[in-house]
Amino acid sequence: MFNQDITPYQNLSILVMVSFVLQSMLMPIMLTEIDGPTGWITIIIAAILLYLPTRLINKSMKNHEEDTIISISDKLFPKYIAKAIGIYYILMFLTINSLLMKDFAEQIKLMMLFRSPLSTIIIVILLTASYATKKGIQIIANITNIALLVALIPYLLTIIFSTYYADYSNIFPIYPADIEGVVRSIPSTMLSFLGFSVLMFSNSRVSEKGKNFRTNKLFIIISSFLYIGSYLLIIVKFGMKEAANLVWPFVSIMKFVNIPGFFFESTEIVGLCFQMIVIFTSICILAYFTNLAMQETFKTKENGYFIYIQIPILYIMAAALPGMYMMFPYIHMPIYIISGLNFLIPIIVAYLSNRKRAT
Amino acid sequence: MKKIILLLLILLILLLSACWDSVEINKREYLFALGIDKEGDELKFTSEIPKINEGSEDERLVNSMENKSFADFYNLSYLHSEKVISDRLMQVIVLGEELARDSETVKKIFDEIQRSPQMNRRVKICIAKGKAEEIIKAEIPSNPIVGRFLSDMLVKLKRESYQDIYTFDEAILHLGQRGSALVPVVETNQDSLKIEKAAIVKEYELVGFLETDELECVMLLLDPTNANIRNINIELEDITMAIGAANITKTDKINLQDEKLTVDYYITLYCYVDSFIIGNNSLEDKNFLNKVKDESIKTISQRTTATVDKLKNIYKVDLLRINDKLYKYHKKEYEKIMDKYDEVFAEASIKVHYNMEILSVGLVK
Repeated sequence: MFNQDITPYQNLSILVMVSFVLQSMLMPIMLTEIDGPTGWITIIIAAILLYLPTRLINKSMKNHEEDTIISISDKLFPKYIAKAIGIYYILMFLTINSLLMKDFAEQIKLMMLFRSPLSTIIIVILLTASYATKKGIQIIANITNIALLVALIPYLLTIIFSTYYADYSNIFPIYPADIEGVVRSIPSTMLSFLGFSVLMFSNSRVSEKGKNFRTNKLFIIISSFLYIGSYLLIIVKFGMKEAANLVWPFVSIMKFVNIPGFFFESTEIVGLCFQMIVIFTSICILAYFTNLAMQETFKTKENGYFIYIQIPILYIMAAALPGMYMMFPYIHMPIYIISGLNFLIPIIVAYLSNRKRAT
Repeated sequence: MKKIILLLLILLILLLSACWDSVEINKREYLFALGIDKEGDELKFTSEIPKINEGSEDERLVNSMENKSFADFYNLSYLHSEKVISDRLMQVIVLGEELARDSETVKKIFDEIQRSPQMNRRVKICIAKGKAEEIIKAEIPSNPIVGRFLSDMLVKLKRESYQDIYTFDEAILHLGQRGSALVPVVETNQDSLKIEKAAIVKEYELVGFLETDELECVMLLLDPTNANIRNINIELEDITMAIGAANITKTDKINLQDEKLTVDYYITLYCYVDSFIIGNNSLEDKNFLNKVKDESIKTISQRTTATVDKLKNIYKVDLLRINDKLYKYHKKEYEKIMDKYDEVFAEASIKVHYNMEILSVGLVK
């Protein structure tokens, strides 16, 4: 059951979901780096840039249908390079997952469980997420599909309702655009399309592999629209100055929810509950693919063994790392490096794989 | 093994019983209104708590205490009552006049409200003419809960566009983005309270007040579609008459060349005759109606020019949001004068050109 295949649409849901979560987490970087509301240009450029390696890697995966990027590298590179690529993906997934967990736990503590210690919240999330992850990719894919319908869509609707008293002229000025800021924030925006890294693994688990490229293209389009939509919603609601001042724009926006006739005392908590489902599902997805990356790097046969090994690592990282907002001043260089590697590794792997096939 | 796990799970259920630390509604005190005044280095918080659990929805408790901050106020309030204090249902925050004139204190208070995970940012806000304590303690026989009275009043005024801002959310967004805002001013009025004027807040500091007719002129330029101007009263050929605007349209032309700012507003008022005199048939005469138009335009133009001059020369505050439009639509030019915008605004040529059309003389000739 653990390794059962998923349908192309389940794959699409997984890619869109993880990207959305990281996009909402990294959005403050884009808001602070660009002088003016032209972040949508960055998103479009990042999406176009990601299309190229997606196309290449899909082409090379036609020859390695059951392989992930790690097992393809294993066939192309010397052992130590393939191992380095595997370890890179493991570390990246672990770091992102722990940051996600830390932010998620802090949001829950600040908005709902005021008295619970942060470490308790993290450990509860970890245990629950690892239990769900151990059930396998198909269960996670089913949860993602349901979460997309019952949480992500109402969550976005809640945010739209929160834009009551929004100033739609805040999307100006478009010209002259801050070109330097737009270019500078491309790496973080590319990184926030996390589904791009996940698809290097998830494509090999899809039942109809012929549809992979189409699904991946759809993912880039849907994810870009979601990102641009969310970005513009925050801009029209807060304006540039206030939006750049917020730690969690997505959480803050829910404090303005004003749905006529809504009977809940705190509508922001309802929005937060939807967000919890979305983030929790993403943590499960990342934990599953970290496990897969570990399995392939260390060439073990056990299914899901590494999910439990991740628990202490994630816990220590989440406890040790400061929240994402505390890291913003120091995060630029690591983001450039990670984003560059995420972009280059698939291109190099695809190039070598296609050349090998040609010879 | 399975039995042990099952046993552990059953035991765990006992530990996971939810709401173990919940507080019932009758053990809570909900702050409805909060007045904040400056008392030397301290802040004086005056809170209104309706007695929602004691059978009467019109009874309330009013407490005052001096503290350093919001956090201090909550902590101390917790020690002064057997109930749990909650600000989740907070309706309105009233800032005292002296406090509002101190920008550092206003910034501190706004920051605390903004950071509070519990307080909704849509809590209403106003500035007291005098002490906020007097407003909270006001006895209103028809509606004894001041928080409810002010909340309903502010919602009504905002809906009818008599005021520009009514929530904390709007105030902080305006101040952050544009540097200035108009905040409603609440005053005592015999056995009640009234909100007629607006406070001019610039860089988190109260710099002055706008009278009702001045506020009308500003709202006319800010939000003409919803603006709700009272009658234009004119005296023509010994007859006093009132003209009411039913519909208003506005266009503007903003030009910034070097450091010379020119703004032209073109406003068309579509009016009805609200009051005239029985037995006088002058309204049937087109020439008379033209005179009515000219006189009305003269009256409202004078009022608007005086208000704009006041904003430009006395307060040096751009409440008309010209800077916002310059940033959004003329960014290149605006960036050159951004640092000395106040001076450019004071020297700006701002003209309001009125046009009037009398749509109908009303139900009688």
